Amino acid sequence: MEFMSHILSGFQITFQPVNFVYCFVGVFLGTLIGVLPGIGPSGTISILLPLTFKISPVTSIIFLSGIYYGAMYGGSTTSILVNIPGEAASVVTCLDGYQMARQGRAGPALGIAAFGSFIAGTFSVIALMFLSYPLAKFALSFGPPEYFSLIILGISFLTYLAQKSITKALVTAAFGFLLSFVGLDPITGKARYTFGIPVLADGVDIIPLVMGLFGVAEVLRNLDTPEERTIFKTKLRGLLPNRKDWKDSAGPITRGSLLGFIVGIIPGGSAPLAAFMSYAVEKRVSKHPEKFGTGAIEGVAGPESANNSAFGGGLVTLFSLGIPTTVVSALLFAALMIQGIQPSPLLISEHPEVFWGLVASMYLGNIMLLVINLPLIGIWVQILRIPSRVLLPLILLFCIVGAYSIRNTVFDVGMMMLFGAVGYLMERFEYEPAPLALAFVLGPILERGLRQSLKLSGGSFWIFFNRPLSATLLGLAVLLFVSYFFLKKRREVLDQLEE
Amino acid sequence: MGSEAIGSLFWIAVGGFFAIEGVRLGVKTVKNPGPGFLPVMMALLLILFSLIILIRGLLRPAGSLGGIPWKRHIFVIAVVFFYIFLLDWIGFLTSTFVLMFMLFGLLIRGKNRWRAVLFYSLVTALSAWLVFDIAAKMPFPESRLLPF
Repeated sequence: MEFMSHILSGFQITFQPVNFVYCFVGVFLGTLIGVLPGIGPSGTISILLPLTFKISPVTSIIFLSGIYYGAMYGGSTTSILVNIPGEAASVVTCLDGYQMARQGRAGPALGIAAFGSFIAGTFSVIALMFLSYPLAKFALSFGPPEYFSLIILGISFLTYLAQKSITKALVTAAFGFLLSFVGLDPITGKARYTFGIPVLADGVDIIPLVMGLFGVAEVLRNLDTPEERTIFKTKLRGLLPNRKDWKDSAGPITRGSLLGFIVGIIPGGSAPLAAFMSYAVEKRVSKHPEKFGTGAIEGVAGPESANNSAFGGGLVTLFSLGIPTTVVSALLFAALMIQGIQPSPLLISEHPEVFWGLVASMYLGNIMLLVINLPLIGIWVQILRIPSRVLLPLILLFCIVGAYSIRNTVFDVGMMMLFGAVGYLMERFEYEPAPLALAFVLGPILERGLRQSLKLSGGSFWIFFNRPLSATLLGLAVLLFVSYFFLKKRREVLDQLEE
Repeated sequence: MGSEAIGSLFWIAVGGFFAIEGVRLGVKTVKNPGPGFLPVMMALLLILFSLIILIRGLLRPAGSLGGIPWKRHIFVIAVVFFYIFLLDWIGFLTSTFVLMFMLFGLLIRGKNRWRAVLFYSLVTALSAWLVFDIAAKMPFPESRLLPF
């Protein structure tokens, strides 16, 4: 009964005019940036984050989340029509979606992407609702050692799942932690790494950091290849998939929704990863794997469902443990902190309006997206025609104004450009920026956990191992790295055998 | 030296800085960790991981960073820092125009290039000024030289 009343109150919050409007603006903007290559959801959310300073916490979370899952919808449009993914999570959609478009089946491809996203989005919201509450209750028994171990496990997952090099991911994570220590020491109040600059006493702000790493760096990267997009000319008729399409897609959508949700819960289990895994699974279970890559609708339906579902999964960890697992949930974490709400297992019981309002808004947002995306597809295609030479200066201007508006100081603009240059160089040298951003957010929790634990134990590290839960978490982390090296060795041996 | 080794040397330097500064802040004891305790541990880990990359990079040198139009990147970053400096002197509207003019000037090519550059930068600077300065009343620095 309590559950139902929570959901009802969530809908009451969502249907308040201000929340309704922000939800719409969020998903609309999300679709827009999802369509536009050149800036992804992380960059956009960080640019728009300062806008939320003056609105209520729940409105701000509804708005920022809307941008994200809106971008998941929009990203598929460019993948299918132009073979350019609007954001990372729809890279796989290019493989079969674009082939479908070339065969004159752009309509059903876009249609199944939208419906699959809708179904998966709705599924993940329901799962989020049922899972977060009990998990948060369980997490209330966590002490400092458990938090420390949990973060260690989280970072282990994050680096384990790194797409390039695990060592490089560890390097960027360590750097992210170090950056998080800049500012006043929370326990002694001593200034750390501030160079005597007063603004730095508050620490490095997450907004210029993320804006630099994911916004400015992207602009700089686009300078390398000033590509002109050619839009595939196709008649967009019949967006509704036919009966056979539905039959072929039912399995992939179901599996994609489940898989995406589970991947989303794991730290570092981002939407792109969920999409890739879903594609691999579909190809494996398919009776005709040879059709993949030539326009199989399963290759669109599965990944598009998985990348939407992953967002709901990520929110489970954020709302029940107070720990972000992706860059986007790190930004939501920051948005809550700015509003004076500390994400923790107590969040749902202390601020039920934020959690249930968001959950209800996601039902509404998914319906809005279906309406925005399908009938208006023509408009989104037109937007693709904006050339990058016009777009890039505009994105940069938005970044500058966004960074300035955080504290009304040009210092943050300078910081943003600095992180932009770092982010661009990191990409050049094949370091991933995501572990940096996440470690930056997790740093203070890790430090608090460690220092409080050591005080509790009188300086003995044994405290992390003689508490069952903490020991299990650390054990899992060790297991991850061992399995990594074991698998790597095995692969090397197999490679040598083949040669 | 390959790009891997160069990259790792940078991180070793960063780690070194954080470690030395962390020791100065005070590591204290394990019983009562000081403000520099975790930073030093983390910096040492950073150095350790970077050393692995360095050694691997020296054993198997690969990759160079040639062929990138560095000039354009440096230009864009420099222009924004110039903009930060200008903002204080000539205000939001004029400096945004200058910024946009330089950025569009870098990117737009073809016939009637400068006419297009002028048009786009005027339109964006004016719209940004109307939206952010006039409508949203963002507190940009007062111009020291110009009345607007």
